[in-house]
This record gives sequence, structure tokens and C-alpha cells, in this order.
Amino acid sequence: MIAVDVGGTFTDVVALQDGEIRTAKVSTDYTDVTRPVLEGAALLGVAGAPVFNHASTHGLNAVITRTVPKIGFLATEGHRDILDMGRVWRPAEAILDPGWRRSFGDAARPLVPRYLRRGIRERLTASGDVLFELDEAQARAELEVLRKCGVAGVAICLINAYVNPAHELRLRELVREVLGDVPCSLSSEVSPLAKEYARASTTMVDALMKLIYADYTARLEKGLAELGFTGQLNFADCAATLVPSHRAMEQPFRIVFSGPAAGTVASAHFGSLIGESQLLCADVGGTSCDISVVTGGEPFVDTTFELEHDLVVNALANDVSAIGAGGGSLVTIGATGEIQVGPGSAGSTPGPACYGRGGTQPTTTDTCLLIGIIDPGTFAGGELALDPELARQAFENLESDFTLAQRVRYAYEMAVHNIAEGVFNVAIKNGVDPRDYSLIAYGAAGPMLLPAAMDAVHCKQVVVPPNPGLFSALGLLSADQVFTVNRSAYTVLTPDVAERIDTLFAEMEAQLRERLSADAAVTFERSYDGHLVGQSWDTPFVPVPDGTIDEPAVAAMIASFHDTYQERSGNRFEMIPVEGVTFRVRAVLDTPKVEYPELPARAADEPLTPVRTTTLRYLGEDAEGQEALVYERIALRAGDEFDGPAIVHEGLSTTHVGAGQHLVVGRYGELVIRKK
Amino acid sequence: MTTIEEPAGRIRDLTDEQFQTAYHADRFTGSVIVNRLKYAVGHMSTAFLREAFSPIIRDWYDFACTISGPPAQDYRMAVVSNSLTPFLGTMPDATRNAVEEFGPENLSPGDVLICNDPYRGGRHVNDVLFTRPVFVAGEIVSFVTMCAHQLDMGGTVPGGFSATKTNVYENGLVLPPMLLWAKDQPVRSTFSLIFDNTRWGGLLLPDFQSMHQQLQLGERLVRENIERYGLDAFLGSLAYACDTSAEQMREAIARIPDGDYSGSALIDADGLDDTVDYRVRVTLRKRGHDIEADLSGTSAQARTCINCGVLDAKTALGVALTMLLDPAIPFTSGTWRNVDLVAPPGTPLSALPPEGAPMMFWEPSGALISAIFEALNPVLGERAVGGDYGSTNTHNASGVRDDGTPWTSATQCGGEHGPWGATKEGDGDSYTVLYNLNNLDPATETIEHDSPVVMLRKEHAIDTGGPGKHRGGAANLKDTLWLTAAAQHLSPFRTKEPSGVGADGGKPGPTGAMWIFPPGEGTSGPDGLLGVSSDVYARSTPVAGVLDPETKALDPEKGVYHYFASQKAWLTEAGSVLRCLTNGGGGWGSPFEREPAKVLADVRDEYVSVEGAARDYGVVVVGDPHFDPEGLRVDEKATTRLRSGRSDERGVS
Repeated sequence: MIAVDVGGTFTDVVALQDGEIRTAKVSTDYTDVTRPVLEGAALLGVAGAPVFNHASTHGLNAVITRTVPKIGFLATEGHRDILDMGRVWRPAEAILDPGWRRSFGDAARPLVPRYLRRGIRERLTASGDVLFELDEAQARAELEVLRKCGVAGVAICLINAYVNPAHELRLRELVREVLGDVPCSLSSEVSPLAKEYARASTTMVDALMKLIYADYTARLEKGLAELGFTGQLNFADCAATLVPSHRAMEQPFRIVFSGPAAGTVASAHFGSLIGESQLLCADVGGTSCDISVVTGGEPFVDTTFELEHDLVVNALANDVSAIGAGGGSLVTIGATGEIQVGPGSAGSTPGPACYGRGGTQPTTTDTCLLIGIIDPGTFAGGELALDPELARQAFENLESDFTLAQRVRYAYEMAVHNIAEGVFNVAIKNGVDPRDYSLIAYGAAGPMLLPAAMDAVHCKQVVVPPNPGLFSALGLLSADQVFTVNRSAYTVLTPDVAERIDTLFAEMEAQLRERLSADAAVTFERSYDGHLVGQSWDTPFVPVPDGTIDEPAVAAMIASFHDTYQERSGNRFEMIPVEGVTFRVRAVLDTPKVEYPELPARAADEPLTPVRTTTLRYLGEDAEGQEALVYERIALRAGDEFDGPAIVHEGLSTTHVGAGQHLVVGRYGELVIRKK
Repeated sequence: MTTIEEPAGRIRDLTDEQFQTAYHADRFTGSVIVNRLKYAVGHMSTAFLREAFSPIIRDWYDFACTISGPPAQDYRMAVVSNSLTPFLGTMPDATRNAVEEFGPENLSPGDVLICNDPYRGGRHVNDVLFTRPVFVAGEIVSFVTMCAHQLDMGGTVPGGFSATKTNVYENGLVLPPMLLWAKDQPVRSTFSLIFDNTRWGGLLLPDFQSMHQQLQLGERLVRENIERYGLDAFLGSLAYACDTSAEQMREAIARIPDGDYSGSALIDADGLDDTVDYRVRVTLRKRGHDIEADLSGTSAQARTCINCGVLDAKTALGVALTMLLDPAIPFTSGTWRNVDLVAPPGTPLSALPPEGAPMMFWEPSGALISAIFEALNPVLGERAVGGDYGSTNTHNASGVRDDGTPWTSATQCGGEHGPWGATKEGDGDSYTVLYNLNNLDPATETIEHDSPVVMLRKEHAIDTGGPGKHRGGAANLKDTLWLTAAAQHLSPFRTKEPSGVGADGGKPGPTGAMWIFPPGEGTSGPDGLLGVSSDVYARSTPVAGVLDPETKALDPEKGVYHYFASQKAWLTEAGSVLRCLTNGGGGWGSPFEREPAKVLADVRDEYVSVEGAARDYGVVVVGDPHFDPEGLRVDEKATTRLRSGRSDERGVS
């Protein structure tokens, strides 16, 4: 099994071969994104591998940088500005800023300029009835304009098409007639959900991804075949579930943002091995910290997410919150003289000051270097020698009345604080009590910063998994293959709708079976998103019983709604009827997953010995500094334990165990850190 | 209780010791606590939005959350959620006035105090304040507060939105400060008072319960901070937050030259008749670090409920100054420390009971924002800001479906959303929210699912962005087809003069209007969309705007004003179409300095017509924008001729 996670800076490749985890890290190449993937695949060998699982932020990067193909957008006449308007809500930081504009709007950087958004004469009502017939002559004339402009694909979103797809289906035929065989996405197929803006933007993203990923997939398949790969190529979607590549290409909006979700799935899988099912997952990289929640062993999944503020995609996505806090976060002085850390980042060029690549502003990496957490000689596997003097100069150059010691100390405390706040807020947002949760610390900078955040997060313990720097990629070997069908059908749940709902689920399950081989070992999971009559925002993933939906089953659906709602909101309104909005079926295929080798216990004749001691400075009020023992992770054995202050060093990461903390090495080599 | 005094110097120049003395926390802790409190109001807001039943909350975000200090700190408001500034600006005063009148000594842990009186707390009766004291060791240390629009608060008009009510008795139920929950037990008499006097209690009750949950969450989060950092540091941080705003505002004020600056804005009419229009006047006197806004000369208060109370005028002043002088200033009680307001009593901005009823309160307070923009734009140079669409042009309708069930549609199908002006940053967004509001736009499909209406057009109108080097946002054009007979109410207030004022040499955006098109003879509705050219209006019934008497098309120079309430309700047959066109956003910088390539792109995108490009920008574009958008080109010679020939005439530098 091979997995590849294409990130912004590095492409991580992991392979599970003969029970052993092998890893490779290759620099991401923006001119040819497949190159490092194939390079990594060649390094580890793919000839006998049964699966090659792939996650990438390639699609997201294309959208964010607006390096997207030219497409047309067809809307109901009078509604072509849906994509410019969004939902008009501006973010908190712009509440009083007249200079703010929508990032994707016509006044800023639209993904489809207005002249390529064409109104089509037709109209359906809310019940799906035809108010105006589709005017085919007018439609052809508009498509002719798009042909003349040379669009490479078309997205179609008509008002009320989520109820009746007829006009969209016919329009696709006209697209074929006029434009030939270009990729064409219909809102009624991509995301047949009510509320036109999110459906339209999802459909637009789908059309873009069809173009962006089609060529990419072809090159990847060809390259892998040349390397002797004969297994199954899967793409991970935004919830890090796996989809065979040909299926993914049918609805590629699902894979627009697949990297970060993998870390959550890796955490959930690893958590199940060590008996922890309540997890806060924090992936701290160079520029950002991605935070997510696993409850009862399951990632918290949202029904939509935003690529930019209000640029919505209706895809099931692990709820991953990103904050601008990582090893490269810049240390600056704020308006009232306070030390600030992030959200700006030094990136990989010039990088932290101590890299000696021309960076003059201090970063969190510089902070940790001056404190003594990072060893200047062995950083990043010894490939990069760090210069503490440059870090010190960068701090000295800040315009501040603070002493150097104060600057470093406050910068450290602020960096830890930002991450702690991010994690704490994700916990509150999801309504979980962090005291019941383990904080999984990964990403290259996670183990260095997260144990110190334990007090502020109030979590049970911090767990540093094996290979924390490549842990996300391991998530791709921890995921299931999942097929999903969703359908919106506003239905107030009463005994007399049982048959209608039963038919709906039967149809959706039949549709799923068509996609699966007859002998596939598969479980169907049903759920629905609903609300109390009068509400507009849905409570997602309310359980639905298996089997025939009859009157008792509808009663069970209603009862589950009230339970789910109470759990999330604290209130229970049994007197208000429940309306089902979106009905969902998932087919989960059992998929082989990564197995982590167990770490042997320590033999009697090899005592646990630190490699050396080091002095940690600037932590708290302690002017003298703390003496910390330094351990090599590779030398640790299951059951080892020691007190902080201590440093655990490994190839790509450093774990900092604070004073007053205690570390125990677990069965799979995980480092479990608790308060003494 | 610790007392907090304003520190002597600038906050960033304070030594650690001075900072500690001033705020009982180190800098780090101070900023941490303020951030945590911001998250707290954010969490309260998100949860309430998702659980709400009232359409105006769940689809519009018509509510806000704040955290204030104790009585000893004069209830200073330190953090606010992201939403409507008319709420955020009045909530510190509303909390103070409600608690002082009720008596802080009469409050207990677990109480929820409510009040909706516009004179005591600003806004209108529908916006009910819910405040909950946070106690530590038997003493109030803070208030967590929500203010949320209730779908109905009684009065003569269902839902309340109307320009026609003539006194506070018609306006709606006024709640003085009273307990809705006492020690977390619902107070039966208060619930009964509300539900006996308001409509749609079935929607209000679960929203009240959800708010109770959010207030408990807010209290829990405040407590967690006090337990973690100590009470002194918590209280000090509230002061730190407000001092930060005050200091930044003070410095921003100092950056504009001393002087007296005047501006005005016109409100078309009130809801009684069209014999009186209302002029909002402001003179800003800027001296050193201080500024005074004097509303003398403003018209007498309106005869119907289009007024606001003086707390709303105060809020608008803080909003306009923050937007123009430094948008990064956090909005807290400290915002106004160096800002004074002189408001003669009995104007539309300082209305008095019982006649001066506030219902459409954001309209006069929005006009004050426009007037302040007009006053300060000339001295701001490139930091000047183009005006927005000026009015929410609110629409309400009701009727009965074929099956006999009643329906209502509120604040969705008029000109509620429209464009912003341009700024030095770039063109203005088309279709957004008034400067002093921030909310969601209801989906067309939600509107059509809830009411018997088809939104035929919701799009940008051509040639309606104020010309400029940066173009103002385009006006919104909305056509709605009503499938049953309906009684329609429309409240546009800014059609006589452009609200989208120009900035730094930019031109204003044009004014808008409203029309009703009856169904064609013998038909139940149109068989296609109405056109957008000026020749379609002749058969319409004009509702509002300055229009040509014959063609009924817009004619701001020679046209006649049409009064939006000339009919008490506009009764429309099934199959009628309502068209609402908002005002356009103001342009920024001289239009003759707009790069021809950008004008070409605007013609290509049908923001500007070929004729408009020549007339407004002096750019000659050749080709067919609709059918050959990429074949358009600029005739450079003709453009040079046109621009050089007309630069004097247009006063362009």
C-alpha cells in the first residue's frame, strides 16, 4: 500500500511494505505536480502495491491562486450574478471596513468573469413546475458566444433545479451540440441541494476540478503504469474517504481539498489502536495549524466548507479549522507594543532567520532554537544547520522596549497560546469538553509546541504518534473506500410519509449498488439532515434505521432528531414537527489499513539513557534556565517513562516535555504526555 | 472591587510595570483575555444562528452579542460579535440603562433582564435586549448580552416594519427593564405579557429558549477566564480593550486637519404624505485629538415611525468615523471617548415620545452616515469613500394562498441589498449590505419555498455604478412575480438624491425606483422576463422614485417624485410583477483616469454600456458586448480625442 499527500511545501510519500512503514519526502513542484508524486513512488517502489492512495491540495491551490481554466457558467436568465453575490455576509475583521470586497467577486478576483456567465431563458418554480419553457434557440445563441470565447468546460446551475433537473439535462445536450465533448457539470447531479448559491459555487468548482484533475489523473496513471503499478489508484476526498480515480473524476469537487482531512482519519485510526476514541487532532506545520475533532472514534464531518470566505462547496468534509500558527509564524510588535506571533509566515523562503537564507524577522522556529528546544545541529535530519546568532539578531532588531529574554519568552508563550486557543475554540465550537479528549500532536512542529498547550486546552493528555511529520499521509492508509448518494427532499416527518421516504432510500441504495461490484462486502449507512419546522439551518447526520421505512421507523427518525438536537444545542422541542431536508446513504467498503508495528519493551540489560543534557532558557520567570535531558526517540522502548523537562529528538521532529509533565512510551511507540 | 484609571501615556509606551498597574495584567494576559472574550461572543452567535426559527435571525443574522463590565466600570463594553453595528453601538448604553433602572442590587445569578424600549436602549421595539449578569463572590463582575430582532412585538402592523405608524402606541409593545428568567426559572408573567401582545409566539418561544442557552454559554466562558486569570486581570482587560479603541480613534482623529466640515443627506418623505422631506445635517468640528458632531439644522422629527433615538445617532457617528478614519479600530465603548455629539431634541435622529416613534431607525441613522461621508470625504483625499445604496428599501407583503392559508414575506423582495461605493482599494462590490449592517442574503430558493413568489430577476443593472477611476458597485435590480393577490408595502427613503456619493473626484451612483407591472390583459402572468430598457415602464404603476411622467422611466433631473406610501398598501393582482431598483454606489477618483482596459472589461461584462463608456469615461469601445464580448476593442484615437476634449468641461485635473 502506498499513500501520497501533496502539500504546499512537501509531497509526503509513505509505503506499507511487509509490515514496515517506509517514508519519503519530496519538494512539491508547482510546474508539474505529478513529478514529485511519481518520484516518491519510484523511491519506495510501487510494482506490487495493491493500492495507491492519493491526497492533494492541488485543486485548492489552483482556486486560491486563480490558475484555473476558462469555463462558462449557465444560469437562469436574471440570475447570472449568483456567483458574484455569494451570501453577502462579510467577515468580522471587515465589519467596519469600506475597503473590503468579496475575494471571489467581480470587483476582486472572480473565478468566472461576468461575460462568461450567461443567462438562459427558462424557469422552474419551487415545486418543480415549468413556468417558462426552455428557450432552446436563445440557449444555442448563448452557447455560441461561449464557443467563440473558447471555454474549456461549462457549469450549469438553474434556479430550483434541485427539484426538477429537466432543463439542466436538456441544456447539457445543447452544450454537447454546440461545444462538443467538453466537461460539463450540472447542479442537479453535483449537489442537488436547495439554496442556489452554494449549489452554484459547488458546480463551478466541480467543472474547474474536472479540467484540472483530468489531465493530472491521466499523467499520474501513465507514470504509475510505467513504474509497474497494476493496483487501484484512489483519490481521497475532503472527508479523507477514498474514491477510485475514475469515480472521483465524475464528481471531482469532492477532492478539491483533501490533504488536511487525512490527518484526522490517521488520528482516528491510531486512536482506535491505543484505545482512545475522543481526540483533538492538531497538525502543526510551517505556516498553519490544522485542528479537528474525533468523537466516539469518528471524525466530525461538516456538510459544507469554504475555500475562501463565503466561497462555499457542498461537500462532506472533515471539519478542519486552520489558524495561522506554525514553525514559520512571524514574531512582530503590535499597535500597543505587545508581542504578536503570526498569522503571517516566513514560508520556506526566506524561512526563519536562523535558516540563514536571508530572513530577518524572527519566527517560532527561531524562538524554539533560542530556548534550546531545537538542536541547531540536527534539525530536519541534520540537512539544515541552524544559526542561533541570526535568530538572536532578528529578535534584537524588533522595535520594542522588552529585553531579549522577555521577547523570546513572550514570543514562545504567544505561539503556544495561539495554538492552544485554536484547539480550545474548536472544542467549544463542536460542543466537546476537552477534559475528556486526548490531543494528538503531529506535523513537524506539533510535538515541539503542543505539549506546552496542554494546560490551556485542558485536555486529558498529549499523544505524539510515531512519524509525526508524515502522520497525515498515513491517514490515507487508514481510510475506508466510501460511496455516497445524497438527495434533498423537504419532507415534514409524519406517519404518512413513511412510504415516500422508503422509496427514496431504496432508489438511492439501488443507485449505489450499480456502482459497486456484486460481490463487494459493503455496509450501507443511512442518515438525514433535518430541522425543526421553521428553522433554516439543518442538524446533520441524524441516524435513520435500516430496512423498510414504516411508521415506527419514521417515529424512530423523529426521536433520533430530538436526541441529536439536544446533544448539540441543549434544548429539546418535541412539540415542534421535524422536517427532513437531505437524505444520505453511504456505502462503506472494508479497506485494508495500515498496521503500526508494536514497539518491544526494554530489555533488562539496556537501561534507558539520555544522550545528553541541554539548558532551556527563557521559559517562565526562571532566569537560570532549566536543565533538560535529551533522548533519541529511536532508542525508546514501550513502557519507558520519565519526567520533564526533557527533549525527545527524532529525524524530522522534536518533542518538548515541559517541567511538571511526565512522559510514558506506549505500545506502538507513541509518546503519551500528562501532567504529573 | 478594583478601580481602573486610564493610563497617562500611549499604551504601547507603557512600561511593563505601568501596564500592570493600569490593567492588573501583563500585556500578554491582557490581549489573551480580550481574544478569548471575542471568541466567546462568536460562539454564542454561531449557535444562535443555527438554532433560530425567526427567518430574520436564521436567514439575515439580525442579532448581536456583547460583553460588558460591571456597574463600577460604568458597564463598559469591551468586545462585540460580528453583525449589525446599530446593535453593537447601542448595546453598552442599553445594558447600562436597563440595569441601572432595574437596580443592579435587584439582580441575582441566573437572571435574564430584558428591555426593548428604543428611548432607553436604541433601535426599535422588535430588537429585544437580553442581558445576564455574571456574579463572582456575590458581586456582579460582568454582563453577557444579546440583542435579537423578534419577528413581532405587537403594534398595528404585523412584523412591525412600516413607515406609517404615528406614535409609540401603534409602534409596538414597549418592555421596560424586567426579568424574563429569574435564577434560571422562566418568569411566567413576563412570558405571558409578551405572548399576549405579540404575533407568532410559536417562533418566538424556541428562540427565547435558545438565547437562554447562549447566555449561559457566554457566562460559562466569562467565568472560565476569571477562574484562569483572576478577576482583577479580567476587569483590567475590559479596560484595556476600551482604552485601545479610544487611543486608536484619538490618533486617527488627529490625522485629519483641524476645521469645520459640513454634510447633509435627504430622506424623501415619511409615511403620512409626501409634503415633507427630512434633511439630516451635520457639522463636524475637529480640533486636535477631538471631534464634535453637531446635528443643528436637521429637520424636525418625522410624523411617522421613520425616526431613531439619539443612541442610534451616536452609534452612526462612531460607525462613520471608524469607517473613514481607521477601519481597524475595535468597536467598543472606548470608540467615542474623544467624540462628542450635539443633538437638538426632536429631530429624526433624536426623536422624542410619544409621537416620534422609531421603527425604520437605521434609515435616518444611515442618512447620518452618508452626511458624515459627504462632510469628511473632501478632506480625506484618497482615503475618501464612495457612498452606498442608502436605504434597505424594505418590502413586506402578505396574502392568502389558493388553499386559504395566509402567507407573509418580509424584507426579502425589495431593495434590501445593493452596492457599496468605490474606495482607493478598488471598485465597489455590487449587491452587498449597507455599510452599517452585516447580514446574510436569503436564498431565492428559500424565498420561493416559503412564499408564493417567483424571483424573476436578481441581477446587477447596467450603467448604475458611480463612474470613477474605481467604479462604484452596480445597483441591484429585482423583479418578483406574485402568484396570488397581495398587499405590498414598500419603504424606500433615498430616491430624491443620490446616496452613493462620489469620493476624491468620483461621480455619484444614480438613484433607484420601484414599479408594479399589472398582469397583461387576460393573462395570469408574464410569459417571459420584463426587459430592462427604459421603454418598458409606460404600462407600469410607479411606486417610488423620480420618474418621467410619460415614460415612467427614471429621470433624476426633470422627473417627478413618486411617493412610496401614496397608497396605504399596494394591492396587486395575481400575476403582477414588482420591480425594485436600488441606488448605485459612488465612484472614487476621476472617471477619465480609469484605465481604458478596465472600461473595456466593464463593457465586456455589461456593467457599462458602449454609450456609458463614452459618456461617463470618455472611452470609445467598438463591438458587440453581448454576442462578441472578446471581440470588443478600444478605439484609442477616438478615446484620446474624447478625453482631451472633455477634460476641462468635466473639471478633471
